Amino acid sequence: MNRSGYRLQALGFRLKQSLHAFRFSYGLRPAACIFLLLLVETANAHHVLGRPAYSLNEDSNTPPSMQVETQIGDYFVTYMIFPAFPKAGERGRVNLYATRIDNGKAYSGEVTFKVRDDVYFGNDNSETLGSQLPDDSVFRQGFEFSSNGEYIITAEFTEAGEPYIIDFPLRIGPPSSIGPIGIAVGSIVIILVGVNLVQRKRLLTSKIRNAHEETP
Amino acid sequence: MTMTHPGLPDFWGLVIIGFILLGVLWTLFSPAPIKIRTSVLSLASIPVIGTGMRNLVANRWLLLSLKFVMVGFFLLIIFAGLFGTPIPERNIATVLTWNLWWSGLVFSIFFLGSAWCAVCPWDALAQWLVRRKLWRRAEPNNSLNIKVPRWLANVWPALLMFIALTWLELGVGITVNPYATAAVSLLMVVLATASLAIFQRKAFCRYFCPVGRTVGFYSQLAPIELRPIDNDTCASCKTLDCYHGNEEVEPCPTWLVMGRLKQNSYCTSCGNCTQSCPHENIAWRFRPPSVEALHSARPHWDESWFMIGLLALTGFHGVTMMPFWETWMSQFAQLTGDSGRLLPSFTIGLLACIAVIAAIYSILIEVTRKITGTDLEYKRLFSTFAFVALPLAFSYHMAHNLNHLIRESVGISAVFSNPLGVDTVPLSMMEKHERHLTMWISQDALFTIQAGLMIFGFWIALQVIRHRGLSVIAINNKLAGVKLLPMLTFAIGITSFHLWLLMQPMIMRM
Repeated sequence: MNRSGYRLQALGFRLKQSLHAFRFSYGLRPAACIFLLLLVETANAHHVLGRPAYSLNEDSNTPPSMQVETQIGDYFVTYMIFPAFPKAGERGRVNLYATRIDNGKAYSGEVTFKVRDDVYFGNDNSETLGSQLPDDSVFRQGFEFSSNGEYIITAEFTEAGEPYIIDFPLRIGPPSSIGPIGIAVGSIVIILVGVNLVQRKRLLTSKIRNAHEETP
Repeated sequence: MTMTHPGLPDFWGLVIIGFILLGVLWTLFSPAPIKIRTSVLSLASIPVIGTGMRNLVANRWLLLSLKFVMVGFFLLIIFAGLFGTPIPERNIATVLTWNLWWSGLVFSIFFLGSAWCAVCPWDALAQWLVRRKLWRRAEPNNSLNIKVPRWLANVWPALLMFIALTWLELGVGITVNPYATAAVSLLMVVLATASLAIFQRKAFCRYFCPVGRTVGFYSQLAPIELRPIDNDTCASCKTLDCYHGNEEVEPCPTWLVMGRLKQNSYCTSCGNCTQSCPHENIAWRFRPPSVEALHSARPHWDESWFMIGLLALTGFHGVTMMPFWETWMSQFAQLTGDSGRLLPSFTIGLLACIAVIAAIYSILIEVTRKITGTDLEYKRLFSTFAFVALPLAFSYHMAHNLNHLIRESVGISAVFSNPLGVDTVPLSMMEKHERHLTMWISQDALFTIQAGLMIFGFWIALQVIRHRGLSVIAINNKLAGVKLLPMLTFAIGITSFHLWLLMQPMIMRM
C-alpha cells in the first residue's frame, strides 16, 4: 500500500490547519464499512476521540492535566499536558503515548517534538524542542514558554517508512476572549449601520420622488 | 475511566414490549376512530383565575421582566464561557446551557408549549438592537423589511441549522467546551439580529431557528394553546390587529391570524395577539395533548421533512452516547484513512443516520400507497403520515434527556456559587461517583418515568396512524387495519430502536 504518511492536527477549531493537515491515504471500502458498522462491539469507553478532557490525579498532589486521545493511521495516540493550564515562565511537560490499533503494541522508536506559533499568516518557522526515547513507553518532553500565546506542538515519528506528524495546539496563559465578542459586536454594528444607510437612501429617494410628483 | 449511566432494566423493557404488542393488536382490529371532538378549557373562562390570567398575559411588564432575567443568564453564559475555566463541569456556560437548558427545554414544551420562545434571549437581544424599543412598536424604518424569498420561506433552513447544531454538539463537542458554547451563542444572536434587520417581521423565528422550530413542532403535542375564546368574534373582526398589530403592539412575528390558527407550530407565545386584540378574545386554554398531530395540523412537504429529521437526530443523539459508538467511528476511520477528531467519519455517520430513517419512512409510505391503492400523490401521503414521527421523537427525546437532567445536573448549585469556575479543578472520581449516586429523584422513579414516556409516545403514534389513516385509507368509514401495517411497522421499529438505546448504558457527558 502506497501511503504518503500521516499528518494530524488534533484539537480545536482550526480550519486553516485542517486544510493541509489531513492526508487520507485509503479509499473508502463501502462493503467493509457497512459490515463493520453492523458489528456491535462492547468496548471500554474512553473520552470521545480528539476532544480535550481534564482530569485530576488523586494519587498525587499534582495539578490537573489535560488529555486528548486521538487516532492517526495505524496508531492510537494519547497525549497529556501538565499542567492543564500552563502559564508563561512555568515549566510544563507533554507526555505522548502511541499504541498500534491492531495489536495494542506501544511505539518504541524516537519521537521529535517541535513548536511553532499558531498564527494564521506569516511565521511558520518551527523550533525543535527535543527528541525523546520512550520511558516506560511514554515520551516525555518538557517545555517552558517566556510569553503567553497560542502555539502548535508537533510530534513526529516514523514507522515502517511512513512519517507520522501530529499537531496539537497548546495555549500558554488565558485564552483571547475578545475575539468572539469583537467579531459578534463588529458583525452586528456592520449590519445595523448598513441597514441604516440603506434606509436613509430609500427615504431620500422616496422624498425626491414625492417632490417630483408634487411639482406641476 | 469514563462513567456510564445504567440503562433501563429488562423488566421495563418487557413491559413496553407488551404494551407495543397490545397496542398493535388494538390498532389492527378495533373499529375506526370517531372524529375527535376537541374539548378545551379556556383559562379565561375560569372564575377568578380567568381574570388573573387575562391580566397576566396582557401585562407587558411580566414578559419583559422574564426576558431581562433570561438575557441576564445568557450574558452570564457568554462571559463565563469566554473568561471562565475551560473545565466544562465547573463552568456555568456549559452546565447551564447543555445540562439544564438544552435538556430541560423539551420538558418545558411538554407542559408549557412554545413558552420558551416568548422569553428567548437571542430574539430579545435582536429585538432590542434592531428595533431599539423594549416592547412598544418600533419604527418600520429600523429594518429593511425585505420579504423572505420564496426559496427560504420554509423550514428547510431550520432543518439544516438543526443538523449543523447537532454536528457542533456531538461531533465537535461544544457541549464540553465553554468557550465554543459562548461563541455559538454569540453566533445565534448575530444571525437573529441580521434576520430581523433584513427581513420582514421575525423570519429567523419562523424559518431559520432550529430551536424555535423544534419547540414549535413538539408544541403540537403540548396540552396548552393560545387561541381565540370565541371564533365568531374573530370571524367578524375587520381590523385583524393580531396580524397587523396596532399603534402600540407589534404584529404577530410569524404571520399568524388567530382566527385561522389551527396549530402551534409557528406560535412563539409572544403575547402580541393577546395585547393587541381589541376584543380581548385571545386566551390560553387547555386541550387534549396531541390533538394537532392527530388531525388539526395541515401536512406540508417541508414540515414533514423537519419532523422526520427531528426523529432521526434524536435517535442519533442516543447512538453517539453509547459506548460502542467510539469503536465504530474508530474502525470506520481506519477504513477511510480518517485521522484526528474523526469529523469526516462523524459527519458520514450523522448523514447516514438521517438517510436511513428517511429511506425507511419513504419506502414504507410507498408500500402503504401500493397496498391501499389510494389516489393520493406520494408527497401528500408522505406529509400526512409524517406526524407519526413527532410523538416517537418527543417521547424518546424526553426519556433520553431525563438522564442528563436528573443524573448530570446534580452539582449545578456549585456552578452558581462560582460561575466562572475560578481556581477549580476537574471533578475527582469520588465526586463523580457521588453525583452518580445522588440523583434528584430515585433511580426507580427515573426508570418508571422513562418507560411511561416510551409508552406515551407509542400510544400517541398509534393514534396518529389511526386518525391520519382514516382520512386516506378508510373504506366505507371503516378503518382497514391491515392496510396500516407499513406505518405500524415504522412506529414499532422506531420505538424498539429507542427502547434498545434506552436499555444500553449511556456515557456520562461531563
